[in-house]
Parts: sequence; structure tokens; C-alpha cells
Amino acid sequence: MMSRRQGLLLIAPLLLVLTGFFLVPVLMLLPTSFGVYEPGAGLVNGAWSLKNYSQIVTDDYYREVIWRTLGLGFSVTLLCLLLGYPLAYLIARGPERWRVPLILLVIFPMLLNLVVRSFGWIALLANRGLINNLLMQLGVIGAPVKLLFNFIGLFIGLTHIYLPFMVLMLVAAIRNVPRDVESAAATLGSSRAHVFMAVTLPLSASGILAGSILVFVLTISALVTPRMLGGPTYQVMATLIYDEYMQLLDWPSGSALSFALTFMAVAIIWLSSRLTKRWAGMA
Amino acid sequence: MGSLTFEGLGKSYGEVEVVRDISLTIAEGEFVSLLGPSGCGKTTILRMVAGLVEPSRGRILIGRDDVTNLPPNKRGLGLVFQSYALFPHMTVFENVAFGLRRRKVAGTELDKRVREALGMVRLAAFGERYPRQLSGGQQQRVAIARALAPHPRVLLFDEPLSNLDAQLRDEMQIELKRLQRNLGITTLFVTHDQGEALSLSDRVGVMAKGVMQQFAAPEEIYHRPATGFVASFIGKPNRLAGSVAMREGSGGRLAVGGVAIPAARIEQPAGAQVDVVIRQEAVAIRSGAAQSDEIAGEIVLRSFSGARVQYVVRLAEGVEIVAETASHGPEASLTAGAPVALAIDPASVFAMPPEGATA
Repeated sequence: MMSRRQGLLLIAPLLLVLTGFFLVPVLMLLPTSFGVYEPGAGLVNGAWSLKNYSQIVTDDYYREVIWRTLGLGFSVTLLCLLLGYPLAYLIARGPERWRVPLILLVIFPMLLNLVVRSFGWIALLANRGLINNLLMQLGVIGAPVKLLFNFIGLFIGLTHIYLPFMVLMLVAAIRNVPRDVESAAATLGSSRAHVFMAVTLPLSASGILAGSILVFVLTISALVTPRMLGGPTYQVMATLIYDEYMQLLDWPSGSALSFALTFMAVAIIWLSSRLTKRWAGMA
Repeated sequence: MGSLTFEGLGKSYGEVEVVRDISLTIAEGEFVSLLGPSGCGKTTILRMVAGLVEPSRGRILIGRDDVTNLPPNKRGLGLVFQSYALFPHMTVFENVAFGLRRRKVAGTELDKRVREALGMVRLAAFGERYPRQLSGGQQQRVAIARALAPHPRVLLFDEPLSNLDAQLRDEMQIELKRLQRNLGITTLFVTHDQGEALSLSDRVGVMAKGVMQQFAAPEEIYHRPATGFVASFIGKPNRLAGSVAMREGSGGRLAVGGVAIPAARIEQPAGAQVDVVIRQEAVAIRSGAAQSDEIAGEIVLRSFSGARVQYVVRLAEGVEIVAETASHGPEASLTAGAPVALAIDPASVFAMPPEGATA
């Protein structure tokens, strides 16, 4: 066994960096989030207020952005899970010689710059983009369907960008499900579908949870893709926070929104972990 | 319940034939072991019976039903794995109930039969635990209860005791044998451990390179090995290069480096090059000078292993064999260099085709 001191030494470098460059700055934002911002004048010295937080709950606009962000997070996570699981299953359980090519295929989009990938979606989804032009030429639709600067655009773009993360987590988890345990279920009378539902799925729950948390957190904190596919008006939390800081210079409001986002993310992760553990009997 | 029959059963992966033309019948209630080194095809046979591997040739019958093309869930078998393969996300109770629920057993009947199965493996009080809270031996007993609970027609064991430590293994062997006798379930047991196979089974099938070498009662396998492989795989054999010196009736004399060793059964003609296989336990050792029907030797090495003592004995230049004796016997503390006399039972001496030649 490793002593506590040895363990501490191993994580010391990372701990120092995280404390100095992440934890301390974040904590320094905490007082800022209770500050009072005077347009044109900046932070008012010595003034305290809960307004930055209360407006998040009371202001219709903020509320709409929060629901939109969370909705996007859940939708993207769910679609990644639905699209990713069959693919991950094929990679984990399919023919050996397919494994490396398929994994490369999954990773390949990640080699492209995020801006380029998002721009690609603009070219595809715009009113005069590839998809609308094709559908109109085929006569399926008469006028362009709005696929950009709305929920659909962000939903499609973010799912595409974060799908690889989900797949990689799921592949690892599915490969860890012992084949003997599945065979045991089969000899005890389980059909293939029942083996999957009763054994494979619950035993890969850790991967489903890890992948979902990763995709959810990445989605609700994504900045570049929502900005490009949502335009300046279709805001999510991340773009809103960015604008509060960089456009309006309203640091207190931006900080409060940041903390609200973090708090919601942590709460949702905690809740989903508990539910997953109960479902998969890991408690 | 039912008998288990293989008809010309075979399996190939591409060019490689891992199981070759196995035909045999395991009678209802019989305990049969498949014994052989790893890669001999014994596990492949078991997995074909379970429906986890598709045979390339031949048929498998349970009772009179041809199950060759049935999926595993339609075969009504119980399978116990070396890795236990318990459902880690279910309690012991739910593990054992799994097969029963698949057969639509519910309510008090389900409760009763799970308890009954857990009682048989003496784990009645452990229903609420999770597998990870049990020791290896307990987990394997849960696996056995899980396989037994749905009353399978045939019970399959894939090296079930290999992951247990020696003492527990002996205990489980006895427990397994008792269970199988009481329930009278047709059982196919796969192992690489000859002690397990010999002590548990009604009949043993010894396999090498996908071929059934001998399928017979344990005594038969031990005392009358059918092939050179069986003779050298069972027991603790000495294997020495020699030749047939003289034929006499069904036996004769073998020569190993100038030393003559009588053998009761020799199939090769006089003058043939053979490997002489002599069981360590068939060599009686006595200190002192050799009499007429004994072989003179000299102790080279003594090795104490608890109940038995092994001696390496030099018979002539370059000819050494291992003999053993009880460690509390009169000849248990001979020292290196001591002159000894060996008496070898001719019935335990086998002449085999030389190593490398086909058996």
C-alpha cells in the first residue's frame, strides 16, 4: 500500500497548479459576483447586492437562456448516447480488424479545428446551404427550413462535436463487461435482447454515466460552436457570460451567471450519479 | 435430466482443427471429465455443448433432442465458469433467481427454489449480499447454486476450481461430488487437473490436440493408458529413451542405457526405439544391494514434499529416474550416494513411440 504522504506527493504538482490558477481565481470571483455594477462607471466600491443572483431567477430573458442551455445539454447528451452506444458496441464487440479503423474514424473529426468544423455546419445548415438547396431542388420543401441560429442548429452541431467523447468512454466500458457473465445469462435462459438489457447495459453503466457527464458539461459550457451556429442573438449561458464580461463589462453579473452554471452542473452530475448507481446496483 | 451425446463433433477455426471427430455418449446421471493440457480442445467442446461456440461438424444431442442449432438460452443447461461469472450488480438471491425468473417461476415458488439451491451449497444466509462481498470459494458456490436452481438437464463445469487455493479446492471437490451424486444430474466437467478428473468422474476423456486419446473409467485410464500421451500425462511419469531388448509373450524387456527393465505389455517388435514410461509411484525403493529381480542404483538427490519423499536415482551413466516413498516409511531418509535397490512393477512400465513421433 502507498502511504498517504507518497500519494500526496504524486498529486502535488497538479494540486498546486489547480489551486493557484483555478481555485484561487474562481474564489476571487465570488466577491465580485455580489458586487454592484454601474454602467459607464464600473464596479461601485464597497457596495454589496444579491441582485446579480436574484435577476437570474426573476428575469425572463435569463431564465429562458438557462432553460435553453440545460435543454441543449440534455438533448445533446441523449442523442450522443443513442448514436454512440451502437457504434461503441460495434467497436468493442465487432471483428478485431475493424477496431482500429473505426476508432480512427471516430477520432478523426477531433483533428480538425473547432472553428472549421462549426463553419462546416454553417455551410451545410444555412438558408442557402447545402441541405436546404438539396431539399428544395428535390421538391421536398418550398422555402428554406431554418436550421441555423436556433435550437436545431446548435443541437446538430454540438452533438457532432461531442459524439467522439461519448463513444470513447462507452467503448472502454463495454470492453470491460466480462463475456463470461453475458454467456452465463444466456445459458440461464436469456435471449440476446434480454442479455443486453439485464447484463450488458447495467454493467456498462459507469461508462454511460462518465460519457454523459462529460458530454453534458462540455455542451453547457461550449462557447465557440454556440456563438457561430447561434449567431449574436441566440444565446446560451456560455455566450451570455462571455458577453457580460467582454461586451458589457458587467463582471458582477457575469460572475454570478458563472457560479449559477457551475452550481447547476454539479447538482445535475450528483443527481445523475446517484440515479445511475441505484439503477445499476453499484450503490 | 438426460444423456448427452456427441456424434462426429468437430470444430475448425480456418485451417486449424481444434476438435476432431468426437463421438461419445454420457449416460443420464453420469459424471464425465474432459482432461487435457490447455489448447487440447476440451473447453471448445464444453462451449459447443453450451451453444456458445458453433460446431463445424457433427451433432450434439441431449436425451433424444438434437440441440446442435439451438441458441444457448433454449438448451436447458447449467454452466459454471472458472471466472464464476456472477452478475456483480445483483444480490446473491437475484443471481440464483435469474434462471428461474427466465422460466417464469415467481412468488413463493421462486423464493422456495432459490433458498433450496442456496441451501445445497450451504449459503442460505447470504442471499442479501453482493458477490463482491463474498470470498472466491463462496462466489463459486453461488455460481453452482445459480446453475442448479433451474434444474438443468445437463450441468457443465469449465475448470470451476482452478481459481481456488489448494485446500479449498479439495473441499469443493468433495462437495461437488456429493451434490452431483445426490442430484443425479448428467455432468460434463472440464479440467487440466488429473487429480480432479480421476477422483470426481465416472469416466474420463483424455484429450490432446483436439483428439480424444482415451475415454474410460479413471482406473482404466490410470492403469491401462491407451496412448503414449495418456501414459505420460497421467500420474508422475519418468520418460526415458530406450529400446525393446526382448519380446516374451505380450511383454518382454526394455533396455535403457544398458539397464534392463521388464514390462508386462509391449506392442513394438524387438529392437524398436521407444520411450520407456515408468510411474514414479510404481518404483519401490529400498536401501542396500540389489537382488536378482531388482535394479541397482545410487541416490543423487532427495526431495521432501510432505506426505511423500522423492529420490532421483542413478541407474547407470546418464540414466536417472525418480522414485518416491512415504515420508514416514523406513526408506524416507536416505542420503545422496547411498546404494539402493529398485523394484519396478512390470505392469506400470509402458513402451511408447519416441517423443516427437505421432502417438
